[in-house]
Amino acid sequence: MSAGIPPWRATAAAPTATASLYSSHATPAYTPVQARRSITTAKTTISAPTPASSHQTSTETAPRKQRVEWPEPVRLYVQRSFAPENRLAGVERGEMETKLRAVITEAAENNMLDKIDWTNLPLPQVMVQNDRNKILASPSVSTWGTFGALSPKKSNSNGLEDVSKKRKSVEYQGDANGCPPWRKTNNHNAFEDRVTYASTDKRQRIDLKNTSKSKANLEMRRKRFEEPQASNGSSASSRGTSPVPAANTGPVVGTCQELEKNYFRLTAAPKPETVRPLHVLHKTLDVLKKKWKKDNNYTYICDQFKSLRQDLTVQHIKNEFTVSVYEIHARIALEKGDLGEYNQCQTQLRALYAQQLGGHPTEFRAYRILYFIHTRNWTAMNDALADLTPADKRDPAVKHALDVRSALALGNYHRFFQLYLDTPNMGAYLMDMFVDRERLSALAAICKAYKPDVKIRFVTEELGFESDEQSARFILDHSAEDLLQEKEGSVRLVTGPRAGQLFEAAKADAHRIVDIKGQI
Amino acid sequence: MGSIFEEFKDGQKLGSGHHLAAALTPVSTAANPGRLQSFYYFSNAARLSSDLRYSLFQANGIRLPKQEQNSWVDIFAAYWSAAGELVRFEEASSRASWVKVFNAWKETANQLIRGYSTGGLQAWTIPCLYVVGRYLRQFARKADAELASQESDGFGDGFQDDVATGLEKNAKLEEATRVLNRMFTLCLTDRSPIEESRKWGVYDTTNLLFKTYFKLNTVGLSKNLLRALNAQSADLPELDAFPKSHIVTFKYYVGVIHFLDENYAEAEQHLAEAWRMCHRSAMKNRELILTYLIPCHLVTTHTLPSKKLLAPFPRLEKLYRPLCNCIKIGDLGGFDAAMSAGEEEFVKRRIYLPLERGRDIALRNLFRKVFIAGGFEESKDGQPPIRRTRVPVAEFAAAVRIGTHADERSRVDIDEVECLLSNLIYKGLMKGYIARERGMVVLSKGGSAFPGTGV
Repeated sequence: MSAGIPPWRATAAAPTATASLYSSHATPAYTPVQARRSITTAKTTISAPTPASSHQTSTETAPRKQRVEWPEPVRLYVQRSFAPENRLAGVERGEMETKLRAVITEAAENNMLDKIDWTNLPLPQVMVQNDRNKILASPSVSTWGTFGALSPKKSNSNGLEDVSKKRKSVEYQGDANGCPPWRKTNNHNAFEDRVTYASTDKRQRIDLKNTSKSKANLEMRRKRFEEPQASNGSSASSRGTSPVPAANTGPVVGTCQELEKNYFRLTAAPKPETVRPLHVLHKTLDVLKKKWKKDNNYTYICDQFKSLRQDLTVQHIKNEFTVSVYEIHARIALEKGDLGEYNQCQTQLRALYAQQLGGHPTEFRAYRILYFIHTRNWTAMNDALADLTPADKRDPAVKHALDVRSALALGNYHRFFQLYLDTPNMGAYLMDMFVDRERLSALAAICKAYKPDVKIRFVTEELGFESDEQSARFILDHSAEDLLQEKEGSVRLVTGPRAGQLFEAAKADAHRIVDIKGQI
Repeated sequence: MGSIFEEFKDGQKLGSGHHLAAALTPVSTAANPGRLQSFYYFSNAARLSSDLRYSLFQANGIRLPKQEQNSWVDIFAAYWSAAGELVRFEEASSRASWVKVFNAWKETANQLIRGYSTGGLQAWTIPCLYVVGRYLRQFARKADAELASQESDGFGDGFQDDVATGLEKNAKLEEATRVLNRMFTLCLTDRSPIEESRKWGVYDTTNLLFKTYFKLNTVGLSKNLLRALNAQSADLPELDAFPKSHIVTFKYYVGVIHFLDENYAEAEQHLAEAWRMCHRSAMKNRELILTYLIPCHLVTTHTLPSKKLLAPFPRLEKLYRPLCNCIKIGDLGGFDAAMSAGEEEFVKRRIYLPLERGRDIALRNLFRKVFIAGGFEESKDGQPPIRRTRVPVAEFAAAVRIGTHADERSRVDIDEVECLLSNLIYKGLMKGYIARERGMVVLSKGGSAFPGTGV
């Protein structure tokens, strides 16, 4: 482990490198947790330069790493970066740290530590903000902000291709000034740590199948431990000893008035003072909608929505508002390609729609079908089909999704790509995820069925490409260069067994790597 | 005493698991309508244990090791409580409750499991496990139905992040799967020599779990069982050494699991085995197997069921015949209509997706007609005449027009027809190639243009 300490991390101990002398007789006042803290620890050391704390940090890190003497200017630079007065609103500590780390690592790797003018180098937070402004200035991004957030209308207000095909769940930020007070107080735990991507994995499976997939395994595992005590007590089917009390005692009535709150996975019954009542949640949703429009910060918004959902659940609020919260979160997740979170919302929505609470059931039933096409979950697809009522099937979005499914089932790529170019609502975000896969399938078929060649124009038109260049690029990316030839004034794709094999292989690849649950 | 004790005595005396299991069957029979009542009223809670000890062993003259005796007493004590709950139904008591029956029966199951894992019950008594498991499932379903009718607000425990967990609806059946799962492990992991091993019960318990998972719509969990079985396969006896009834059901479920994953070739293999082994007169089971075997066959071999095969199964005949007829004559419009007419039923039985693929066969048959209608080239030098193998795409387009019952105004998209042709060629249903520039399909010569159909 000691060998692997990256240079930037060494800064932690640098200011007090001599302190390592104490390490032998100093009381081991450190914990492994601190040791893993990387630059976060560095900050504690520097910004709170009491001797005691410096000892602590150095005793833990110094013995375990090679000595790297950081030049004085670098250390001062780090110090300045963390100084509270240099803090920039809207730039996250985590972001700043990442930037800082990158800057120092780069300098160390290029042996530039001594050459850079550290005193005049912009602070990392400034760099972060500059980068953001650059992105802002680029037109493809800033146009997002122009159209209506959560209304399902399609916008054609500007000529961007991206825009014309898809509806955005929401839009975008004007300025990066969204750092709310609660975050400042809470920044010790980098908030990314709490975004529970890992646990969504488990939860999602639960949602999808009603029970955890690994239940049988868990069951067997539990069984192993249970055998000995089985003789003196039954309790056979109570799973584990997780804290079940307090649960089921009825809904909490929240008293919290804060609009924003970050998400914690509950491990005990929620306290009313941390739960927001419905009328506050209404305001919260408005704030979140605005923030998403303004900042487009997905990590933040996802976290907020999760806590919003949690507050609804613990208070047993199940109404139209609940539906709209899930719908909005689902749309945002869809736009960001976060299929894990999207699938959670979708599963919830399915249950909510079953209770006739309003919302946009057909829109989401259509997504659900497209989603199962993407994950190729035929068992679930069958369930999705079984859910549809005759009225649903008449809905344009549902009908579209059903047609997509049937076109694919029959390999009718012609029909499939016609449907692709005419996708209602936000379905295009989902279709984009499997359209390349289907292009490869279609090319494999075309190469086997046509002889001796087909014009590139034909490929472009049949497979829904936007230009001949795009389709040529796609072909080259997945096969060999000599498959494209120029004959009689037009570029052609040379078909036949060899081309067929190349696309067949590419198709097999593309089908293999589909991540079953669509996690990001 | 009541016949429950006699059945127990017979079982123990004969060493017959099935007789023993009969004792644990919680029903009153037509021959003995008071069976459960007389069992329940033979004792009371205070004296139960000693009464059971007397009636099961001393009165019957059966001697078992002390530990085993105690296990049976515990099992029958739990059984006695469950019988009490069931008797309430027989007496139409207002306190009758399936939830209570389920809970009491679950306790019986747990006592039984404990008896096997630590209480020294012998492996030959394993049919008791089947019977108890089977009724556990039944009672769970009745309990769930009862709970559903009582309406709860549908919120899970307070720690869920999300509003609806979907678990409540089948809470008791979920509970039952956990017990059944323990039964499964109990059988699978027994390390005694195979002659006296509980391993013989592994397929029956697997089947019970399969059945429950299907009911719960968590078919995915079945794969864990298959994985566990696979991992143990070296220590398990050959399949054909097991009772046929276990294997037929097992094969059926494995077949359907593959079927749902669209592994039709494997599904067909398992289903065909089940079909072969299934008892002649088990009409319901045979019908179930065929329900899945027919679509498998359609996908893998492109063949349709004969009238003779379906004759004993009027329901299947009704389900499949309209589709089969349309496929046979290449009637695309009729096929689509038959699919949407039967959609609800097909989706319910989970056969919609594979049946849909029958459209390719219908299309193949339609295009085959085009080829045949094309006639023969002029023969040269007395050679046998050969069919015209160069067919304009337009002729196929015309066929699609007829096949889909297109009216005057509707336009058939030539590109789509080409796409259909390209698909058939790609899937090997048709041999040849499309020359796009010339708008011509060049079919293979020598009777292989439509493989397997004679032309």
